[in-house]
Amino acid sequence: MMHDILSKAVRTMMKLGAEFCDARSQTINNAAIQSVNGDIRHLADRAISGICLRAWMNGRWGYCTSTSLTDDKVSDAAADAVANASGTPGERIELIVKEIKKKERQNVRIHPHDVDMREKVSAVLDADSSQSLANILNRVGSYSEEVNTNVLINSAGSEIEWEEIRTRFRAMSVASDGKRMERYYDGPDGTCGFELVKGLDIESLGRSVAEEAVSTLKAKRAPSGPMTVITDPMVSGLLAHEVMGHASEADEVVKKRSFLTDAVGKRVASDIISMYDDGTVDGAHGTILYDDEGTPASRTVIIDKGIYKGYMHTLETASKMNIRPTGNGRAENFGKRVWTRMTNTFFGPGDRTLDDIIADTKYGILCDKMVNGMEDPVGGGFEAKVLRGSLIKNGRITNMVRSFTLTGRALEILRTADAATKEVIFDGGMCGKGIEDWVNVSSGGPYCRSQIIVGGG
Amino acid sequence: MNLRDTAMDALRHAKKADHAESYVIESVTHAAYIDGGRISNIETKIDSGISVRVSVKNKLGRASVTLDDNAAERCVAAAMRVASFSPKNSGFKGYPMPSVSSVKVNIFDKKIENVTAADLKDIMGSVISSCRSEIPRGLLRLSVIRSVTANTNDLVTEHESTMMYGHFTSMFRGDRNGEGTAAVHGVSLNFDAERIGSELNSKAKASASATPFRGKEKMTMILPPCELGYMIASSAGSALNGENVFYKRSLWHDREEKKVASKALTITDDPTIPGALCSAFDDEGTPAKKKILVDNGILRSFIRDSFIGESTGNGMRRNSTDAQNVYDSAVSIKPMNMIVTPGRYSGDDIIAQTDNGILVEKFAWPECDPLTGRFALEVRCGRLVKNGKIIENVNNALLTGNMISLLKRIEHIGSDPVNIGSVTIPTMSFSGTELIGNE
Repeated sequence: MMHDILSKAVRTMMKLGAEFCDARSQTINNAAIQSVNGDIRHLADRAISGICLRAWMNGRWGYCTSTSLTDDKVSDAAADAVANASGTPGERIELIVKEIKKKERQNVRIHPHDVDMREKVSAVLDADSSQSLANILNRVGSYSEEVNTNVLINSAGSEIEWEEIRTRFRAMSVASDGKRMERYYDGPDGTCGFELVKGLDIESLGRSVAEEAVSTLKAKRAPSGPMTVITDPMVSGLLAHEVMGHASEADEVVKKRSFLTDAVGKRVASDIISMYDDGTVDGAHGTILYDDEGTPASRTVIIDKGIYKGYMHTLETASKMNIRPTGNGRAENFGKRVWTRMTNTFFGPGDRTLDDIIADTKYGILCDKMVNGMEDPVGGGFEAKVLRGSLIKNGRITNMVRSFTLTGRALEILRTADAATKEVIFDGGMCGKGIEDWVNVSSGGPYCRSQIIVGGG
Repeated sequence: MNLRDTAMDALRHAKKADHAESYVIESVTHAAYIDGGRISNIETKIDSGISVRVSVKNKLGRASVTLDDNAAERCVAAAMRVASFSPKNSGFKGYPMPSVSSVKVNIFDKKIENVTAADLKDIMGSVISSCRSEIPRGLLRLSVIRSVTANTNDLVTEHESTMMYGHFTSMFRGDRNGEGTAAVHGVSLNFDAERIGSELNSKAKASASATPFRGKEKMTMILPPCELGYMIASSAGSALNGENVFYKRSLWHDREEKKVASKALTITDDPTIPGALCSAFDDEGTPAKKKILVDNGILRSFIRDSFIGESTGNGMRRNSTDAQNVYDSAVSIKPMNMIVTPGRYSGDDIIAQTDNGILVEKFAWPECDPLTGRFALEVRCGRLVKNGKIIENVNNALLTGNMISLLKRIEHIGSDPVNIGSVTIPTMSFSGTELIGNE
């Protein structure tokens, strides 16, 4: 049925003059549970569905998205998409699109829809109650699942149907000593089913989060100025994502907005730094089977031992740069624009242990969890907010420090990177382009040491 | 079926619930994007959906679905199923009772309702031609929003508004490239392309001339509305949020009728001054009203929704930038239009009266930690002020402080309020922040 609707839309758009077009339907089923202090604050079952029709003409796109799927509304939408392809004419390029006919389901051990909601509620309340500790003001437990079903048909003859399933579980504590408040959080996520929760020691997760929140109340203000920083895997991932990732999105390169325009083949980091975007990492939060243009996910080498290698692409940017698309054409949902977006972005492993790196750090700061970050593709700077950290003096961890921010010039920082640990860890989240269009991603890396400007708020 | 019929249909299907509420919304959005200095995408977005909340023996459930022929019935069934799994909630106080609103506010612009792809092209073309620097990225979104809220207390309210949101970046190419940004918010198509183009050009040029700040220095922070709006929303806005007060994580939860800011500061939430979230009723159907939140530095009241109780008409699903998927959002507490009462100084006056400060033209992203008020933000372009004059432009530095504390150290309030989504605020300056650079 959906195939018929989309096929008809594609035929209509081609008949009306599109050079290339695609029609994509999407249904997103989402369940979300959140508790605060033992009460269920949010419990919701959400479903959004609709179509996105895109027409490519004279180097510009026309879009029409709709939640209405009646025959006449879809026909109108197809006509609107073609009529909307009326911006400024661009470079006349033919989009190179490979025909794919496939139907794939995501491999999960326990499909979230096969688990009783009671069990999910119970897990959240367990995470909540296990945070009960003196000085804990708010105990928060949360669980979310998303089952995303896509059908894409395009004028190159592709017919693809695929699924994305994600789950996330979190515990977060807010601690107060009457004068100050601090928080701490933890919990897993990924492209997987309810096995994520089944395999979890919820009680120890909740207890440890509460203990860490309370211990942060004693944290001092972080020192300020340029210093040696050991980023944990979460903050290393944030640097990979914000510092180099956004500037490696090829739409920023074709319009020469990225400071990495023309960087291919040049040294951009010390030789311990390799960096990848890989939409195929098993179970990671940003993993996809296909992007929202129907290109299979792939692994892109961005930096290899300090040398810049290449960009992430959509159909449009790949065709403009005469290269294969990398499966990075992604949209927040059917109602939003497709841009070049990351999937799982990370620094590769090093050959040291964390103890070893700390031991040969005279004075520095060890990061513990990120808050958020902001890219700067034009200036090559970045901002990374860190939840807390520990000071290192003469090779030993000393005082805990509260939230602080890292900033600096990307290339200067990566050239100072001199040590990384052997294990790469991923952390899932949402990435916005500029200030909106949120997509599921993960970022990660090893513990990594470099010179960065630190500022404690 | 129209929105009202759909909302009522949902309530009919929810007879087994003790309390039920339906919220039905439809929106039509026209958007245009600039990429690399040309109009690359034009989009039409048609969106509609329903959200249902139920309470069954104090067990709460919420569901939302995209509208189709049997959406109301499906949505109610999903909400009832969810409620059946929920433990009893000790805090539920019922949905709002019908009431009359005295708020009259003009939030609908026919020009937005009738906009065409050709109009969008013209507007975006004007921005491009008005800016002497390149515009690598730009977005303009114009929406018409219609919604109905109904509940089993016989409450039915209807809402109709328009919304404009735009965000642009500019780029000055030189020895060093510089970037500027500009945003527009509002309910009507009073789009001044020339002003936006000129602002983008001047910001990009200033950014290109900025050099890395060296050292560390305490100084006054001067923030224009575009940077200050989000800083105030994430600090004072968070402290004024009734849910944060309820859970005692607001820094002001025990400060009612006490001094929380300089005497110069007065904050109101005023739905009668047009802004993207303004309306006669909030999205739960509670009448909106003007409220004094901070009165000459004294904390007077908080904003609340029906879950927290004694709702002040601030239970919102809508947001100030995007009309899509609103039915998918939970009700949360937001100001309709949080207004900082303007002072008497122009931006230039404030600079002239500052001995040692930084006018921040662009942070990486302006926000504070909502729990603590702390911030340490990357300055992408700041203008150093010495003895009342701008002396140089700097970047690559962090500006640090605590916004909740800084509200007690206000130096000047400007006379130039600008609406930034759900906040309307003038330029302000604060003493006691620290700028940290390299070396």
